[in-house]
Amino acid sequence: MSKEPIFWNPLLETLPQEKIRKLQLKKFKRIFGWVYDHSKFHRSLYERAGMTPADIRSFEDIRYVPKVEKAMMREIQQRDPFPYGDTLCVPLEEVVEFHQTSGSTGHPVYQADTWQDWEWFSESWAFILWAQGYRPMDRVFIPFGYNVFVAFWSGHYAAEKIGCEVIPGGVLDTKARILKIQELKPTAMMGTPTYILSMAATAKNKMGIDPSTLTINKITCAGEPGASIPSTKKRMEEMWGAKVYDHAGATEIGAWSYECQLQPEGMHVNEALFLVEIEDIETGEIIEDPGRQGKMIITAFDRQAMPCIRFDSKDIIEWDPEPCQCGRTFRLIKGGVIGRVDDITKVKGVLLAPSAIEEVVREIEGLGEEYEVVVDKEGDVDRITLKVELLPGKEDLQASIKNLITDQLRLKTNLRYNLEFHDYGTLPRYEVKARRFKDLRKTH
Amino acid sequence: MFQDLDIKEIEEKIHLMKKNVEELNEMVNGFPALEKNTSRILASINMLEINLSDLLDL
Repeated sequence: MSKEPIFWNPLLETLPQEKIRKLQLKKFKRIFGWVYDHSKFHRSLYERAGMTPADIRSFEDIRYVPKVEKAMMREIQQRDPFPYGDTLCVPLEEVVEFHQTSGSTGHPVYQADTWQDWEWFSESWAFILWAQGYRPMDRVFIPFGYNVFVAFWSGHYAAEKIGCEVIPGGVLDTKARILKIQELKPTAMMGTPTYILSMAATAKNKMGIDPSTLTINKITCAGEPGASIPSTKKRMEEMWGAKVYDHAGATEIGAWSYECQLQPEGMHVNEALFLVEIEDIETGEIIEDPGRQGKMIITAFDRQAMPCIRFDSKDIIEWDPEPCQCGRTFRLIKGGVIGRVDDITKVKGVLLAPSAIEEVVREIEGLGEEYEVVVDKEGDVDRITLKVELLPGKEDLQASIKNLITDQLRLKTNLRYNLEFHDYGTLPRYEVKARRFKDLRKTH
Repeated sequence: MFQDLDIKEIEEKIHLMKKNVEELNEMVNGFPALEKNTSRILASINMLEINLSDLLDL
């Protein structure tokens, strides 16, 4: 009997790095030529920079190609032709899928895909799911409100492509979804960390069901960095009795990165389908060496209708110095997506990444899964307030938790917080992407 | 085992399949059931190219 394959694509995922660079250059030239010939928006951008496809001769030439920012896409889509502006590279009749970004950083950007693009999007997800142990015998439950957002639509199609049985848990409330899991015994699930935690809390606290006794043995997360934050991952894994894996993707990019079954505290970049560059935020220099954080500039090589070429994602990442023991040669980004350039803010003169607060909150036993951070001003001085909930029955731990959380936050973020304890269940709950960090200074 | 695969031969078969489906797609213009399904087959063939054909000549 033949051994079960470890890799979705054993050729691409084990390609030596020098061959990956050659493949990336070949594919970059192809997609750059495609947009130059088919997108008025891109052609005009490159003509203004004096660049043509003939200028891409070496890997180093790629870094001179102008970047595209989300704000540019928004602006161009405000103009005719509706709804994609001059970004579309194919006739409108070839577009079969519409999706849009979440709008968490401004007006949503619309994304058009051909059927080939849609095949490609689910292909990029198939790499992820196979690496995380999804196999044809898996029954996959997707508790996702299927709508204009791309997340999990492509996960759904990829699971089908692998041969899994997919249960669309769409228009059901959380309790009905828990009951469906109990009834149909799925082995895998996909969701945002916020919702995975919230489902577990509902099962346990409102239905008397311990989620770890259900049949889910692996969970793929998306949409938020939680599954790469060790304390949040641990909390999800303990609650569900399942392995939790992270992945990163975006509507206008594709599913570009994934954690493998070894959980190497980082995510593989799918370097056969994407080119990831890390740019120093201050100098704009491309960072090749591991250990230095910068923002991600990304290219998707195979998307036709609305290609993504040197897109300034604003995600903060860094290369991991160590290769993964799983055998994949695709490089790892250490700790996943660390944050976003937009989210990192100065409070009392100290740089603060909201994920650092989450890491502290989620590792303290006795605290509920929700929290909220509010930054405002008291006179001219910044003030930062952390609101947390104690789990039912843990009220007597308030004083000790207060001391612990204050110490840990000072250690990890170098800031002093006003700490507020709220009754369990009173802080806002989120189903998709949470908005727990509120900077009110900008509205003053 | 994938190491034993003849990559060149597989690529030739992918290429031939694409050529056949492209020809079929052109032949069936005005026959939506065949035209649209051959278009979908071509999209799937593109996934074969991404997964294998692009690797040739590196």
